[in-house]
Order: sequence, then structure tokens, then C-alpha cells
Amino acid sequence: MVMEKLDKYLNRYDKFLIISILLLGILGVLFSAVFFKERAEMVIIIRDAGGKVKRIPLRNTYGEEPFLIPVDGPIGISIVEAYNGRVRMKKAPERDPEMVCEKTGWIDQPGPMIICVPNQIAIWIEKKDAELDGISW
Amino acid sequence: MILDGYLMKSIQRMIIIALLVSIGLILHFVESMIPMSFIVPGARLGLANIVSLLALVLYGFKEGLLVLLLRVLLGSFLAGTFMTINFYLSISGGLLSFFAMSLLYYCFKKKFSLIGVSVFGSTFHNIGQLITAYWIINNPGIFYYLPYLVLMAVPTGIGVGLVTYFTSRYLLSGSYRRF
Repeated sequence: MVMEKLDKYLNRYDKFLIISILLLGILGVLFSAVFFKERAEMVIIIRDAGGKVKRIPLRNTYGEEPFLIPVDGPIGISIVEAYNGRVRMKKAPERDPEMVCEKTGWIDQPGPMIICVPNQIAIWIEKKDAELDGISW
Repeated sequence: MILDGYLMKSIQRMIIIALLVSIGLILHFVESMIPMSFIVPGARLGLANIVSLLALVLYGFKEGLLVLLLRVLLGSFLAGTFMTINFYLSISGGLLSFFAMSLLYYCFKKKFSLIGVSVFGSTFHNIGQLITAYWIINNPGIFYYLPYLVLMAVPTGIGVGLVTYFTSRYLLSGSYRRF
């Protein structure tokens, strides 16, 4: 009904203009869905006692076998496990009194962080292109 | 008191332009109370666009530009946003959209109706705003919103175009034809 009423006021040039703008918009949405998804790739970041940072793209963790990453620290070697888009501290050193990092379990998205205070290791996930927080006007 | 026709006309024109500017300010205020940004950040109804398009139709390019600039300037003075990001976004979008609308209105007058002109204008409003926003925050990620804003511009542009069409048809017809 609305369309029929609207039809009275639009000539064919208007319709051509509107349809081409809509098409461009839809194409843009599709394009950006593909283009920006690739940019928003997740990476696991492992930071050790010396401040050295190891980056592993999350998509590289899919496979048959879990990835085991040994990380050196002041009280021994911690073993980080990355598997199918998730990451956890598999084994904290024996001398770790509380094993908090082991108890944190798996993380799979930006936000939570695995921290091992005695061994000075931090593990988190972030977007590869994490500059744009938000905008308003 | 006898006023000659020319003086009468110029006073009337001045008053109508002042009325359009004040209507534009109120429309801008009203549309800022309607939440649209939850659909797409930065999305607007563009109601204030009605008055600049109306001035363009009733008087011409110069008067339309005057209404637009006065509206944006006065609006930013009243809201206290003069020379801030809001002001730049508003004026860049407004100017680009106005130039796009004038181009379509003058060069293809016989082809496009006011609705087509308005849809074109609201699309360019968003493009102008995003280009300025890109200059300010310097991150190409902002163009992610462009297609969504363009899709939003079509229905809002049709609405603005219909309002302008009916208003101008009324004002230019019968006993009101004094412009």
C-alpha cells in the first residue's frame, strides 16, 4: 500500500537513482563483511617475564594436535596450550604455590586474561586491528 | 504607509528565510531527541535538511546556502558546539549534501523529482560526514559504517523529499504564490 502511494510521486529517474544507491549500499555491506572480517583477526599474545611477546594468530591453532608452547620464567617452565581457537595454561611449574593460571582455564575471546604472577606470564587474546574502540557524534 | 513592491518582496523574503532557519533549528533539536544511533552510529533522520531544500526550491541556490549556513552556525552556538567535532561534522555533511542537491536540482531539473534530489543529498550528507570523521580520527575503519549509513539514507531521504515536495507544492500554489 505504501509502495503504491510512493509510486505516484517517483518518476523513473528517481527509481533508478534510489535502486542504484540501494544496490551500492548492499554491495558495500557485503564487501565490508568480507574485508573487515579478515582485518578483525584474533591473535593470542603471550608475554613472558622479560617482556618478550609471542603472537600466535588464533586461526593457526586449529588442527589435530594441540599446540604446546613452553614459556621460561623465574620459577621454571610453564606450558601454554593453544587448541581449536582457545588457549589455556596447561601446566604451571611445580613451585607455583597457587596455580591460579591453571585454574583460570580456557579463554577464547578478547577480554579475559590468564596471569601467572610467580612466573610473570600474561596471556590474552586481542583483535589484530584493535584501534577503533568506538565513535559517537 | 506605502511600501513599493520591491521592498515588500525583499522584506517578505527576509522573513521567510528567518522562519526557515528557525524551523530548521527546531527540527534539528527534535531529531536529536529521536534515537537513531542504535541502528547505525551516526545515523540521523535529516529533518533539518527539509529547510535548506525548501529554500533552494522557493528562492534559489544562494538563499538555500544561506539558510544552511545560518542553521548550522546558530545551532552550534545554541548547543555550545561551535568549532568542535560536532560542528565540523555537521557543516561538512551539510555543505556536501547541499552542493549535491543543487547539482541534481539545477542540472537535471526535468528528470529528478524532489524525492530523488533529497535521497541524493542525504547520501552525500553521510559521505561528507564520514570523510571529515576520517580526517579527525584518522582510521580507515570508520568507512565500515558507510554502506549501512547509505542504506539508512534512502528511507530518510524519501521522507525528507516527500515533506519538501508537499510543502513547496502548497506554498507555490493558489493564494500563497508570492515567492
